Amino acid sequence: MQPPTHTSFWIALLVGIASGSVGPFILLRRMALVGDALSHVALPGIALALIYHFDPFYGVIAFLIAAAFLVFWLEGRSRVPPDAIVGLLFTASLAIGILMIPNADVIESLFGAFPVLSLPLLWAILVTAVVLSALCFVLAKRFLFLIVSPDLARVHGLGRGYDLALLLIFAMIVALGIKLVGTLLMGALTIIPASIAKNLAQSMRRYVILSAIFGGTISVAGVWLAESFRFLPGPAIVLLGVGLFVLSLPFARGKTA
Amino acid sequence: MTDDAVLTVKDLSVTLDSLPVLQNVSFTLQQGEAFAVIGPNGAGKTVLFRALLGLLPRTGLVEWRPDVKIGYVPQRFSMDRSAPISAMEFFLLQSPNFWRPSAAFSSQLDQELKLMGLNRGVLRKGLGELSGGETQRVLIASALLQKPSVLLLDEPTAAVDAGFEETVYALLHRVQTERGTALLLISHDLSVVYRYAQRVLCLNKSVVCHGPPVEALNPQALATLYGEAGFYHHEH
Repeated sequence: MQPPTHTSFWIALLVGIASGSVGPFILLRRMALVGDALSHVALPGIALALIYHFDPFYGVIAFLIAAAFLVFWLEGRSRVPPDAIVGLLFTASLAIGILMIPNADVIESLFGAFPVLSLPLLWAILVTAVVLSALCFVLAKRFLFLIVSPDLARVHGLGRGYDLALLLIFAMIVALGIKLVGTLLMGALTIIPASIAKNLAQSMRRYVILSAIFGGTISVAGVWLAESFRFLPGPAIVLLGVGLFVLSLPFARGKTA
Repeated sequence: MTDDAVLTVKDLSVTLDSLPVLQNVSFTLQQGEAFAVIGPNGAGKTVLFRALLGLLPRTGLVEWRPDVKIGYVPQRFSMDRSAPISAMEFFLLQSPNFWRPSAAFSSQLDQELKLMGLNRGVLRKGLGELSGGETQRVLIASALLQKPSVLLLDEPTAAVDAGFEETVYALLHRVQTERGTALLLISHDLSVVYRYAQRVLCLNKSVVCHGPPVEALNPQALATLYGEAGFYHHEH
């Protein structure tokens, strides 16, 4: 096992960067709320892991990937408004998770903790975070095309597979950060750096780079604050991010959102 | 399919939510011609385009010439105006390398900007900051980057200030004559159709008239298309 502090700093840095890299696309797709709710689905996964004594990480990733496929399937059905269903289903999974998780573990599951991980699992998380960040940059053009003009993108041969790819990348990044930031707040970590960067950036390329930098910086600084003042890391990271967002507001170039 | 046809459409029908939106539409688009589609709101003009592009389920025949390169110019961008996406980045969607475009791409972009009467300054602007006329010209210039043999334009002047419409059509006419690009355009402006289109298709769920504008757009066809009230006083 690695010392929790080192583990936390490395996860904060690399998962923070990954969250920042995927955030702009989630925000511009107007999926911020779906993304936020998606992280709640992890809770029953954690509960099953605690009951059957395996590492919660595996429960989390299985449930989140299943949820990503579900959102994708709902988006493809034009007659069903996905927001309401996603809201209901994900809130229900939060409720089920809370009922199943032993009381002693509830706070940690919801708001995160300094994780204690085996060295192989830590490496797996860090390497996956780097790969997912890189994928966001490699696929940026295609994701952006589908945002700017879905019809035009389809004419250029970009199918719904890229929508699914974005959801899966997002779900996996959420899974990587859940131990540190918690199921309630991890969704926010993907949205906050992108929201700050959106106020400052003039172009998409700068937007994604800035958002990735903010993601890493806020997470590392949040972990440092939490460690210094004995807070939980999740709320420290999220509050620091929201504080920075407020400071970034005057820089928004007279924009509407 | 005849030798000069870039697109042959036969008995094209589209049904959405079990309602027929297009019925038995047939026409051909010839190499290098300007072909206008007109019709009232809800006549299925945009549906026709989306069906031709394979974006909607359809029945009937839609046959593009095998070597055809289609450039599609949608009416507008889909993202919200506050999104920090520069016009340059919209063009880069056509570039093999988004993060570091090649010199060849930049020089081709310069050429298309010039043709559309845009200067390089527009590249630094955000997509949400462009005026209606700039948006339309950026959309067309981007479609031209692929050197298309056909341009599909969905009401290219819908969001353009009055007075500027003329410029957009003059630019399109230049593309048609200088490069031999066929234009398939939805228009609501009959004077433009008379002036620039070699053939016109009047659409109201099915084909109402079809042919050169001076012949096809007779009073009877227009009355059927838009309803008599728009053209004649009712006698009570």
